[in-house]
Amino acid sequence: MQHGLDTYAGLSSPIHRWEPRCKFVGLMALIFAFSAVDALQLLPVMLLMTGVLYKLSRLPGSYLRQRLHYPGYFLLGAVVLLPLTTGETVLLDLGWLQIRWEGILAAIPIVVRFLCIVTLTLVLFGTSPLATTLRAMRSLGVPSLITDMMLLFYRYLYDLLARLRQVQTAMRLRGFNPTELSWRTLRMLGALTGTLLVTSYEQSEQVYQAMRLRGYGQRTAQRVMAPIQSQDAIALGVMLLLAAAFVIAQVSLSLAVP
Amino acid sequence: MHIADGFLPAPVSLLGYALTGGGLWFSLRKISKTYEDPQEHIPKTSLLTAAFFVGSLINIPVPPSSVHLLLNGMLGVLLGYYAFPAIVVGLFFQAVMFQHGGMSTLGVNAAMLGFPALLSGYLFKLRLSFGEETPRRLGVFAFAAGASAVALSTLIFFGLIVTTIPADFDADLERSATFVLMMSQIPLIFIEGVFTSILVSFLRQVKPSLIEGF
Repeated sequence: MQHGLDTYAGLSSPIHRWEPRCKFVGLMALIFAFSAVDALQLLPVMLLMTGVLYKLSRLPGSYLRQRLHYPGYFLLGAVVLLPLTTGETVLLDLGWLQIRWEGILAAIPIVVRFLCIVTLTLVLFGTSPLATTLRAMRSLGVPSLITDMMLLFYRYLYDLLARLRQVQTAMRLRGFNPTELSWRTLRMLGALTGTLLVTSYEQSEQVYQAMRLRGYGQRTAQRVMAPIQSQDAIALGVMLLLAAAFVIAQVSLSLAVP
Repeated sequence: MHIADGFLPAPVSLLGYALTGGGLWFSLRKISKTYEDPQEHIPKTSLLTAAFFVGSLINIPVPPSSVHLLLNGMLGVLLGYYAFPAIVVGLFFQAVMFQHGGMSTLGVNAAMLGFPALLSGYLFKLRLSFGEETPRRLGVFAFAAGASAVALSTLIFFGLIVTTIPADFDADLERSATFVLMMSQIPLIFIEGVFTSILVSFLRQVKPSLIEGF
């Protein structure tokens, strides 16, 4: 699978070796704590901590850059819009364009939170095979219906993407022009989506039969995860303490400011 | 229409997770009551979810640019109570693989698209209480289901944007921008309805069991 989420799950690092359940709870707690941070004083600490965790994970920088590519445009929109539209204090007046201080102050926490949370998400899901993370989620109480759906979804997503490209190429070769809005275009695109649905449905029936034959749905076929080691629990405790510290610091700072 | 990480205050993100948890609990409870073997439908739901995920990447030309459809109404139509878990799964992968949306906002995004999908499923089922089914009635109900899901999701999206926007934001500008953006969604709501209607008509001819199954 090209450019898969868990391409670098085979590397060796302290984060890779961290027990998946502890890693999931610890990093998710940190993600939520980061989403609560608004105080400018805490942002450098947040960035530093995210940087340290990414470095510890030994994931390559190109992995992060590649993943930030698309949402970067979305972020850019917000970053450009806020300083132009928010606040009273004009820092730079170019006649038709005014850059305001309050807008810059509102944009900075959004950008930093976004970067830190996305990076932590990649550390969380990029340092274990997806099947292992899903098994951890299941043993943490996520319903098996959801985790099974996730596994099958991930397994067949790239097949379907390849099929879509094939069908789109075939349509273009037959002279279909997808750039003008018309009843015909909508009907053709509807038929394209319908074909994808029908072929997936038929494939799913075969998949289900094959899975049943291999024992799917039998309790004995489910694997139990290994017990948590003390060093994994300590790392989880540290992460939970850090998350709590961020929230407490944020609350204290917001109460201190009138 | 995904809210990215970092844009929402933490209490809103947590509320989103609580709502999504409630939606999942409700859907799973209904699934276990409605179906004898809920696992039987997992491969079908997963593959259809993946197909929807891929289908939503198809560009629909809307001059001067193009748009991607949400298709949450269509998920409600085809998957019934399975639509909510399907949306959670689809959004989870959009967040972790393509960084559309985010892990902290997964709950909000799932609630925003999932509850309207469930309502669309109910709306589409309403057609059965009108006696014998005709292709026209099927098309009309599919249009209503597809368009209403997107309309409701759009309303929730703008409600969230307006209530969580920075306090310093110019109030008049905020009102005007929200109004213009909401108006710009009306053609999309219509296109989504038409597209759902076309898709359901196609499936009725090619694979009717898909629209009768759930």
